[in-house]
Amino acid sequence: MKYALYLGCAIPIKYPGFEAATRLVCERLNVELVDLPFSCCPPPTSMKLVHYDSWLALAARNLCLAEEQGLDLLTLCSGCVNTLKEANHILKNSDSKRRRVNKFLEGHNHRFKGTIEVTHILDVLYQDTVVEKLLHEKVRDIPLRVGCHYGCHYFRPPKVMYPGELSDAESHVPVKMDHLLSIIGVEPTEYSRKFLCCGSPLGANMDQDAGYSITRQKLEYIHERNIQALSVVCPSCFEQFDMGQIVLARKTKEKRRIPTFYLTQLVGLALGLSPKDVGLDVHRIKPKKLLSGIDVA
Amino acid sequence: MPRFHDHTTDLPEEVFQLKNIDESSVSPGPSNDLRIGVYVCHCGKNIGGTVRCEEVAEYASTLPGVVLSSDSLYTCSEPGQEQIKSDIREHGLNRVVVASCTPRLHEPTFRAACESAGLNPYLLEMANIREHCSWVHLHDKDAATEKAKDLVEMAVGRATRLTPQFELTVPVNRQAVVIGGGVAGIQAALDMADAGYKVYLIEKSGSIGGRMAQIDKTFPTMDCSICILAPKMSEVGRHPNITLLTLSEIREVSGHIGNFKLKVLKKARYVTNECTACGDCIEACPQLAPDEFNAGLSIRRAVYLPFAQAVPSTFMIDMDLCLNSAGIVACDRCFQACAHKCINFADKDQWLEIEAGTVVVATGVDVYDPTALTELGYGRFPNVITTLEFERLINAGGPSSGELIRPSDRRRPQKVAFLQCIGSRSKRSSPYCSNVCCMNTIKDALLIKEHWPDTEIYVFYIDIRAFGKGFEDLFRRARGEGVTFIRGIPGEIIEDIATDNLTLLGENTLLGRHYRYTMDMVVLSVGIRPRKDSEMIQRLFNLSTDTDGFYMEAHPKLRPVDTTTGGVFLAGAAEGAKDIKDSVTQASAAASRANILMSRGEVKVPAITSRIDPEKCTACGLCARVCPYHAIQGGKELGYYQVVEAACQGCGACVPECRFGAIDQTHFTEEQITVQIDHALTRDPNHKIVAFACNWCSYAGADFAGVSRIQYPHNVRIIRTMCSARVDPAWIERAFLKGAGAVLVSGCHPADCHYNNANQNTARRVEKFWKRMEKLGINKDRLRLAWVSAAEGAQFARVIEEMERGLHKLTPESIQEDAEKLAKRSTGKSESS
Amino acid sequence: MTIKIWKFFQREQLFECYQCARCTGSCPAMEVAPALGPRETILICLNQGHDRVVEDEKLWLCCTCNVCEDRCPQEIPICDLLVALRNSAARRGNIPIRLGMAIELLAKTGRSMIVHQLDEMRAHHGLAPLPPAPVDEVRDILKKTGLDEVIEI
Repeated sequence: MKYALYLGCAIPIKYPGFEAATRLVCERLNVELVDLPFSCCPPPTSMKLVHYDSWLALAARNLCLAEEQGLDLLTLCSGCVNTLKEANHILKNSDSKRRRVNKFLEGHNHRFKGTIEVTHILDVLYQDTVVEKLLHEKVRDIPLRVGCHYGCHYFRPPKVMYPGELSDAESHVPVKMDHLLSIIGVEPTEYSRKFLCCGSPLGANMDQDAGYSITRQKLEYIHERNIQALSVVCPSCFEQFDMGQIVLARKTKEKRRIPTFYLTQLVGLALGLSPKDVGLDVHRIKPKKLLSGIDVA
Repeated sequence: MPRFHDHTTDLPEEVFQLKNIDESSVSPGPSNDLRIGVYVCHCGKNIGGTVRCEEVAEYASTLPGVVLSSDSLYTCSEPGQEQIKSDIREHGLNRVVVASCTPRLHEPTFRAACESAGLNPYLLEMANIREHCSWVHLHDKDAATEKAKDLVEMAVGRATRLTPQFELTVPVNRQAVVIGGGVAGIQAALDMADAGYKVYLIEKSGSIGGRMAQIDKTFPTMDCSICILAPKMSEVGRHPNITLLTLSEIREVSGHIGNFKLKVLKKARYVTNECTACGDCIEACPQLAPDEFNAGLSIRRAVYLPFAQAVPSTFMIDMDLCLNSAGIVACDRCFQACAHKCINFADKDQWLEIEAGTVVVATGVDVYDPTALTELGYGRFPNVITTLEFERLINAGGPSSGELIRPSDRRRPQKVAFLQCIGSRSKRSSPYCSNVCCMNTIKDALLIKEHWPDTEIYVFYIDIRAFGKGFEDLFRRARGEGVTFIRGIPGEIIEDIATDNLTLLGENTLLGRHYRYTMDMVVLSVGIRPRKDSEMIQRLFNLSTDTDGFYMEAHPKLRPVDTTTGGVFLAGAAEGAKDIKDSVTQASAAASRANILMSRGEVKVPAITSRIDPEKCTACGLCARVCPYHAIQGGKELGYYQVVEAACQGCGACVPECRFGAIDQTHFTEEQITVQIDHALTRDPNHKIVAFACNWCSYAGADFAGVSRIQYPHNVRIIRTMCSARVDPAWIERAFLKGAGAVLVSGCHPADCHYNNANQNTARRVEKFWKRMEKLGINKDRLRLAWVSAAEGAQFARVIEEMERGLHKLTPESIQEDAEKLAKRSTGKSESS
Repeated sequence: MTIKIWKFFQREQLFECYQCARCTGSCPAMEVAPALGPRETILICLNQGHDRVVEDEKLWLCCTCNVCEDRCPQEIPICDLLVALRNSAARRGNIPIRLGMAIELLAKTGRSMIVHQLDEMRAHHGLAPLPPAPVDEVRDILKKTGLDEVIEI
């Protein structure tokens, strides 16, 4: 199993701990990763809104790099997977858009052919063979009540983000993270408005306070269910919860703090990696106390 | 060493079976004794607003054989018909061509007019210049006029080849079958039985009553639903003319109008008719299941009566639940408990054969399952329920004995919300309005207010549709009682972990403000959908369905309870979402339509059957193999085959199958159609599309495009056959030889064929023709096969548009070249044979 | 100059809307900010023309979470509509300052983020320094796609 690793921007620059955890976990689970000279994806929350052609062309360039190596693209961020998967979908299905984009790229010897798939670390870890390996390699359980937050861009719109996996439901909701975490002994816990946005894009583009108001709502529903920790698959969502709780506490005087994990950090702990190995030492809300409660040090 | 044999070189070159059209039978013009009258109808502005009718009439007068040609404002009017009659008498007309609307509408009208003037009705021909011309080319008067001329010319051409026909009379069996024992089925059965006919009422479940029996009160009069239904149910039970078959399903149907034969599977009840419904067995039974009648809100045993007022009031055993499966008696507690010894574990399923002259389909509907709308939490939040569950909840015979309680804690809710349009008006579920939900909700709101006036009620709606008699009054009453109406469906429902209360998030669109309402209970006003198993009856009786999946009526305005299958009528919501009053009205209408047939005791069948010329027949039997009705009999011993006229339904599938030209179909003869093709292509053939359309689906689909005013390119010329299987590959070749740019063969969707899947022959023959085109190096796109149902006007238009675009790629030279290739091939073949 | 937004979106799709408000009812931005909301956006486009929307800075109060499209019973591609409208707004200079800055950074560095002492931070997690992004190539592509019609790069 071999993938072109698409790091994006936020993870290698802001949260290299997630990168470290992911690389270690993938190594242990026999997922081979190849690094390529990618650029920004670019995000569905910025470039796509401002200039669609630029968004599509840059995404196509990233797709081409992986195509040229004959590798599927593995992303670590909900924003990246949204851009790259959607661009891949659009370019595979529209002759006119493909022609247009290839014209932009031809000066740099790239040509989009539509030969690869784009996937996300959650989907990669969820595959049968990887799960089997995980069960085999797992050295300990993580018995925490964890609330999963998928990040809107990871799964919407469903017809693009996970075609062929649609259930009868008219409003589709993902379940993979909950299932995967239960394998490593986590107690995935439902909470109200689980699929509500974290508030990050609204904060980043327009109004920081409004963005955090959404985060606050979400946290209230999370506290309601006595959830001990959050698991996310996106650095923007992570920041919104990790940094967000600090910022919000200044105003609301809320005492309760819920540590947030990136998915591969939790999987890494189950594989016997130390909190420092997976980069937990730099989180704003330290999970130290929580982890020592379950004998992880 | 193994040797591989190259099979491809061994195969004989495929011999293309195609009979040559005998030019001598086609080419000579009409004989001198033809006296054709042409009537071009303006249909007010419907045709006259687009087509210059005078010009068309003038053109028609120049056509050979035409002795009289005129245009009139409304040809179908009394004076219009009188004109035709007097012309027949005065001018000695022996053919009549009416250019007006679709023959599916007024052919019977004009045939009757001809007949009363002494002209054989089969000497009438119609040109469809409304649905197929003026309505679909509204903005191009010149093109529409030219097209109308072509259509009239085609009709006149066909008229020259028409011959008088005489219809066969078949007897109508004076027994009727009603399928479905809801209120519509009950009403239809009673009406026919009261008129003196024997009726079999076939119901799938253990009791008649249907959805109406589940509902608490009816709107707008607030009558108790079961109180007004129960007397009708018992009347069915004791009516001497009605045989009630419950737990029964129709599995096979054969025959036709007046003479249907049905095979019915009557499932074992395991309780005999001696049952007094005392209920002693219930307490003995150890097995439990959710009670379907109470929408799963209560439980029942394996031995049970569907509901208190059930007819027949005989208990039944659910063998899927009973411990005694596969003939092994592991538990006999109910048997022991029964004083009358009515339990019979040895009861067996039975096959019954029923003969009937008429059938009323009243199979009813399902309701939408809102589990699919995950954001509303139905199935996860106990206090989110559907309207059907609510009906049982406040019914005195329901699980809470009529007390308004909410499921999570059995407490009376103080705040109740109703959410409208759940599963209706949505491309994700049902695109149509379900018709009854608005009034049902208003009725439910008033019911709550009547018994528990302090309850706060909020109705979240998009539009309140209170269109019926007494409906607006009910709506006003609800507002007067303090029911709050909020425009804007909630986007999401949140359940409070401690109280099980529900918070509704949404936008009040009239105020333009976001809202958050906390409710004790939420009722989802779920829509109505066609039954999941509606396809079964559809197949058995060759019914059509509309785009929403409901059974389709023969004509939406003028034949609203007939189906396209003779002798089969529709009643109730199976035809489209409707309330009780409309269902009962329609049931009486259906019964009345069936009664007409049965009271007359005989019916004429159209003279469109196939005939075999025993002289030409070589008894090869190919025709008998494709006949969907086994109507062709004979064999080698006899030396030929022949058509059993009463069994032949007139699809014509057998005709193209005959290599020797021994078969022809009455009124749709090879010659008649060939003349139509030729006349369609007399002017500018290269830019024309010749379309063969089957009467039931594709021709009706093109009609529907007209009714819907869907505009499409004007260069298509439609030729009607009864079934697409009648389309002879020789016609396709003829069209190409005459220079047609493209040919369309269209029929019903594969499973919807009105002639028992005869259209699989269509697909086979077209594919064969494609192969031939491929071999000859002819662009296959010039021949298209399309399945278009009667509801798919837009689809028909799309196909024509696509084909029209294809025409641009052709040049007169390439068309000529292709024609030469085809011609060479067929003459070459006839020389060698 | 009127810029055609319908390049990315079929205007006919708007006619499917019957204003049920499930979209705005689900919209997180509507709950916390004076956002325009999908229902109003569509209604203004239908009744007053899209120019009115394109000139309104409230158009940008959005999480791009796509929940509106997910809930729409008429399957209107609302997200495509909002992208088209915002592209059009950006061309007319209606673009939030922070967003404009983010785009400039992307065009300059090939990445949408920048921090001090990156190499040290990565080393702390046992990671090699991040190779520089292919800035020249990215910038050249963005020139060709015409990004500078919207933002100077």
